[in-house]
Amino acid sequence: MFLNGDRVSYTYNRRTGVEAVKALREVSVRVDRGSFTGLIGPNGCGKTTLLKLLAGVLSPDAGSVSLDGRALATMSKRHVARRIAVVPQETHPAFEYTVLEMALMGRHPHLGAFQLEGPADLAIAREALTATGTSHLAERSYMSLSGGEKQRVVIASALTQSAEVLLLDEPTASLDLGYQLEIGLLLQRLNRERSATLVMATHDLNLAASLCDTLVMMRNGRVIASGNTTEVLTSAMVRQLYDVEADVRVHELAGHLTVVPLARLS
Amino acid sequence: MTTLDSAETDGTPLPRRASHSSIRGRLTATILVFGTLALATCVLAPILGTTPISLRRAFDPSIPFEQNVDAQIFFVARLPRVLAGALVGSALAAAGVVFQAMLRNPLATPFTLGVSAGASLGAMLVIVLGGALTFGPLSTVPAASLAGAAAATAVVYWLATRHGHAISTSVLLLAGVTLNSFLSAIIMFVQYLADFAQVYRAARWIMGDLDIGGYDTLIASLPLVLVAFVLFALLPSSLNLLSVGKDAAAARGVDVSQAQRLAFFSASLATAAAVSLAGPIGFVGIVVPHLVRLMVGVDHRIVLPASALFGAAFLVACDLVARTILAPVEIPVGIVTAMIGGPFFLWLLVHKS
Amino acid sequence: MASRAQKLTALVAILLALLLPGAPSAQNRTDGPAPRRIVSLVPSITEMLFAIGAGPQVVAVSSYDEFPPEVKALPKVGALLDPDTERILTLRPDLIAVYGSQSELEKQLERAHLRTFSYRHGGIATTLDTIRDIGVASGHRREADDLVSSLQGRLDAVRERVKVRPRPRVLLVFERQPGTLRELYASGGVGFLHEMLEMAGGTNVFADVARESVQPSLETLLARAPDVILEVRASGLIEKARSDEPDVWSTLSSIPAVKNRRVHLLKGDYLVVPGPRLAMATEAFAHALHPEAFK
Repeated sequence: MFLNGDRVSYTYNRRTGVEAVKALREVSVRVDRGSFTGLIGPNGCGKTTLLKLLAGVLSPDAGSVSLDGRALATMSKRHVARRIAVVPQETHPAFEYTVLEMALMGRHPHLGAFQLEGPADLAIAREALTATGTSHLAERSYMSLSGGEKQRVVIASALTQSAEVLLLDEPTASLDLGYQLEIGLLLQRLNRERSATLVMATHDLNLAASLCDTLVMMRNGRVIASGNTTEVLTSAMVRQLYDVEADVRVHELAGHLTVVPLARLS
Repeated sequence: MTTLDSAETDGTPLPRRASHSSIRGRLTATILVFGTLALATCVLAPILGTTPISLRRAFDPSIPFEQNVDAQIFFVARLPRVLAGALVGSALAAAGVVFQAMLRNPLATPFTLGVSAGASLGAMLVIVLGGALTFGPLSTVPAASLAGAAAATAVVYWLATRHGHAISTSVLLLAGVTLNSFLSAIIMFVQYLADFAQVYRAARWIMGDLDIGGYDTLIASLPLVLVAFVLFALLPSSLNLLSVGKDAAAARGVDVSQAQRLAFFSASLATAAAVSLAGPIGFVGIVVPHLVRLMVGVDHRIVLPASALFGAAFLVACDLVARTILAPVEIPVGIVTAMIGGPFFLWLLVHKS
Repeated sequence: MASRAQKLTALVAILLALLLPGAPSAQNRTDGPAPRRIVSLVPSITEMLFAIGAGPQVVAVSSYDEFPPEVKALPKVGALLDPDTERILTLRPDLIAVYGSQSELEKQLERAHLRTFSYRHGGIATTLDTIRDIGVASGHRREADDLVSSLQGRLDAVRERVKVRPRPRVLLVFERQPGTLRELYASGGVGFLHEMLEMAGGTNVFADVARESVQPSLETLLARAPDVILEVRASGLIEKARSDEPDVWSTLSSIPAVKNRRVHLLKGDYLVVPGPRLAMATEAFAHALHPEAFK
């Protein structure tokens, strides 16, 4: 029991009632420390909303999210940020920050109100860049980087938060095969070598299968299955989630489950 | 610690600036340099002008003030102007930085959200109707334009927070732009009803005028600007994070809705105070932040104080040009800020890229 | 409706804003049948018409007309920026006095085969010429010539009286924001206000500025240091408001005019309309500048 969502519900535009969307209905999630959990499900199932609730960016209308037994609502935003970091799907800064500046922004929750970052913070940032293989880009403008480089920088800036939990929203969605592999390897290393707890929302079932030890499957704002990847990822579940007939089996060379879609069921 | 291959590096990385020395050091250096610039400008400007004056005479206490032309020129004509220029310049430049960060749009100006249009309408109403009606304490142009600015700010804020607690920046932008158009139409209508002299006076007010001739309006605006600056001091790191993304900022511990409110109100206050003192002087709020960014980078903790200082120097310099270049005719300072700021900005951009 | 004072202020502004004199229309000098229904959009022309005896022929005037009192009863048809063409045509005029810059309106009226008289804005000489021209156009040539002679005579008399007097340096203010010295407009070295001032025995501090109006900064006012300040104002509402205002000139106490208490306020619409009353205005200036010459 580490990062928990306990029967959380969330509705967008609840206050005005205009275009109100019930995104999550009584969803419960249990993320164990050190695990690598995948949130999977079709578009609109509520993955991103759940991720935001787990990060404390949104507050649930009902239910609560807790970290190590303490409800997020009782902790200050800074405190939460020191323990949970988010890697969003896309990052578009409005100004031309350098890679190092982007990385240093992760130190914000650790600094006092008027405190400027010191040598220790700088060291942490540089180390994060090294860990993501981006230290040679430190003085480059973030906007000038390639897609893969950008994503690695964003991950680096999440690392500088020195958080135990990393929440990622579709980290490889806009990347090509090469970058997908690269990011995947990086995340794996973070999980294994740094004991980071990772929760990754993704469309890519194969990616989830290759990296995650636990899967949470969502549809229409509800969790329909969760558990060990090997137990939960079956063609029956894929059918239930996506209305797609797929072949699910362990790939000999890859060493993990793979999902090959075959036909659409309507 | 194993590292990833950096297989995709395309040649030598080009450093954007000299390597990242400590931010503390950079901040100190920036404030020293820009502070000196601002101070030097403010000290020199009252000494310069079309009429040569003797500083010795001006500061000679043995000559009674009524007979001391040099002193009157220095203390009545020039000094209030320079001080007003510094106040307005720094207020508008800082407000520009804050709005650009908050709206995540480098093209935002302090006038984007309708504050200045509200001020203009207030001023216009007094100019046109001031003879026929009395507005009580709001009967002067500065007071009425401040009231107009406050009203416009309130309307925009109300519109942007209709759908929830946090300010939606896209709604804010839309509301501001719409209010601008609407108020401009009303202003045109009021001008149409006004007689010719009033129209001319109103048009002249809109070009900006720092020749305040006394210290009353300056002292009245000072508390507003000071409050705004105190609030500005709380913003810079939040602005950095907000400008990367609202959710990203929230995930890093920023109280987004509080930061947005703080940014909105402090920048609107600074703008309202500046416009009610000297009219809507354009260009300062967009050129100065960009110029400063080209010189010191984009970290708001450095850009905000640097812009405030540079804005003061910039406007005082522009006003000096405005009152000397075609003497005895004075060019409205807003025209000078545009003509100096624009080409300088282009030159800097061309050389940097 | 704009208040009387506002109208007069507007009048001043309009008149002084007309930097572009219109070309004298060929129709100005034609001798034809005297017009029976005259519309005047220009207050100067209105005054001239009444002064030369063409008053009964005038059927409508501009929104800014105040003098002579007879015009109050006449219909108003707009002015420089907003002439009411429809209304003008409805009145079936046979002569319309328009501003030289109202070229669109002139074309419209010509298309309707109506005679127009184009008003040229200028100094004293131009004004006197205009009196003569409108005299011809309205069929009162002799009365116009007589009026011009009489005015010229009065002007010459003033000039004679003040000839030997030392000429003070004068700042002639015709507009400013009530209660402050901001947005102050003074007469430059061109135009009828300037010429009247010079004729009345004063030297314009802004004689070197080749414009009709100058908006001087406070520094310029201090630097020019006039010996006398003449403030020209219309009477009425604004007057009352201004009489409550504190002594605004006291902040510039080093100016000789302020020090020696030679700040004069002249009230009246006759001061700002370049027409038959300009001799009266010049005399008023002379009285203010050289009171001893008129004892």
